[in-house]
Amino acid sequence: MSEEFEPNIVAFLCNWCSYAGADLAGTSRMHYLPNVKIIRVMCSGRVNPLFLVNALQQGADGVLISGCHPGDCHYLEGNFFARRRFTLMRNLMEHVGVDPGRVNMSWVSASEGAKFQDVVAEVVEKAKEAGPMDQFRRRQLNW
Amino acid sequence: MVDNKTLQNKAREVISRDDVRRLIGWKRGTFGFEAAPAVIKDPSGADDLIFDATCVNNLASFITLEEKPPVPRGEEPDTRKTAIMVKGCDSRAIVLQLVEKAYERDDVIVLGIPCSGVIDRRKAREMFGDVAGAVEATCEGDKLVCEVGGEKKEVDRKELVMDKCLRCRYPNPVISDELLGDEVEKFADDDFSDVAEFAKKSPADKWAFWDEQFSKCVRCYSCRSVCPMCYCVECVVTNLRPQWTRRSTDISENTAYHLQRAWHLSGRCIECNECERVCPVDIPIMTLNRRMTRDVKELFDYEPGVDVETEPLLASFNPQDPEEFIM
Repeated sequence: MSEEFEPNIVAFLCNWCSYAGADLAGTSRMHYLPNVKIIRVMCSGRVNPLFLVNALQQGADGVLISGCHPGDCHYLEGNFFARRRFTLMRNLMEHVGVDPGRVNMSWVSASEGAKFQDVVAEVVEKAKEAGPMDQFRRRQLNW
Repeated sequence: MVDNKTLQNKAREVISRDDVRRLIGWKRGTFGFEAAPAVIKDPSGADDLIFDATCVNNLASFITLEEKPPVPRGEEPDTRKTAIMVKGCDSRAIVLQLVEKAYERDDVIVLGIPCSGVIDRRKAREMFGDVAGAVEATCEGDKLVCEVGGEKKEVDRKELVMDKCLRCRYPNPVISDELLGDEVEKFADDDFSDVAEFAKKSPADKWAFWDEQFSKCVRCYSCRSVCPMCYCVECVVTNLRPQWTRRSTDISENTAYHLQRAWHLSGRCIECNECERVCPVDIPIMTLNRRMTRDVKELFDYEPGVDVETEPLLASFNPQDPEEFIM
């Protein structure tokens, strides 16, 4: 293919901060890369690391989990649990040879539309470097 | 190491108590280098029990394995205790199950046995070939005396015991109601050199290695069944709705399964090596678990299954946890 590789990014954004941040980026007419597919969850602590594995199986080239800044969680401590989980999951992925750039996490608050724009650009850049995710993608999607 | 007479007498004494329903221990296997698990319910069974270097099984998984059918109307549930024999590594599984409140401390009687290493059947097979009868193996200092087919053979202990025993920090049970036999000294500190060695590989090499290993997997779920920490009644990999992993054994689903299994055991693996021992296709499963154990220790300064008072790793947090990779 002569076309440049455009990665698919699945983003799990928490309802209270990051999703509102992405919304702010949109309403302020900031352009963020269209590679990102946003899934709204109520808290970053709700994201099971299984989602991440599953997303990579089903065609994502990178995953972004984003929540409130530590201490700002709407549910007080959800993002602290998420941080521990994804630190470990990222290391595990790295251990089996998955590019660590495919697993990303960020803290984006509701007022940081510009930061969301930057985060998405960085995630897409990393996924482009890592190339298409072909290690354990499902071969028969509609099986 | 405890001699069998003392062990059997103690077992008889414990199982004779009114408040004890069953005792889980080891008895001589039918062939090869592995003893068989034994559940005895009356004092007559105590004569079969043994402990030596062939007692590899981690019996802690049997406590939670028991099926509990609904009690018929008008009958009281049986609340008598379970007595269990544990080695050092097994006792950590008991501690972690107590931490996770799988059962109450009063529900079990722990008979701890200091252990000086158990035999790796793969190493033994290389050394002795296939063996028809059951093998007896006793530890004498640095030597293992194996009785193979009526013949006594002396082997250096380091050559025959499992890898986990060579880096065992807890040969003495960390929890026990009664300690059988004298305490032994710990062998070595764990420096995680094997993990560091693996981490040196390039991502492509790592994936090439795991691609080959995971492709072998037949998804028999032995590693899950034997694991003392995998005691969920409903398991995410066998659930059909939602079905996170499909049942086909291709590289995609196998990888997803192994990542899930390893992740569910991060901060919970007590390194009894049972998963690797039972694997019919010899996947080095502990290589995944060991990485998690090292990271948990380095990043969160946490060691599972040592203290009953600690909280489970992923059910607790520290506001100062490391977050270098977070944007």
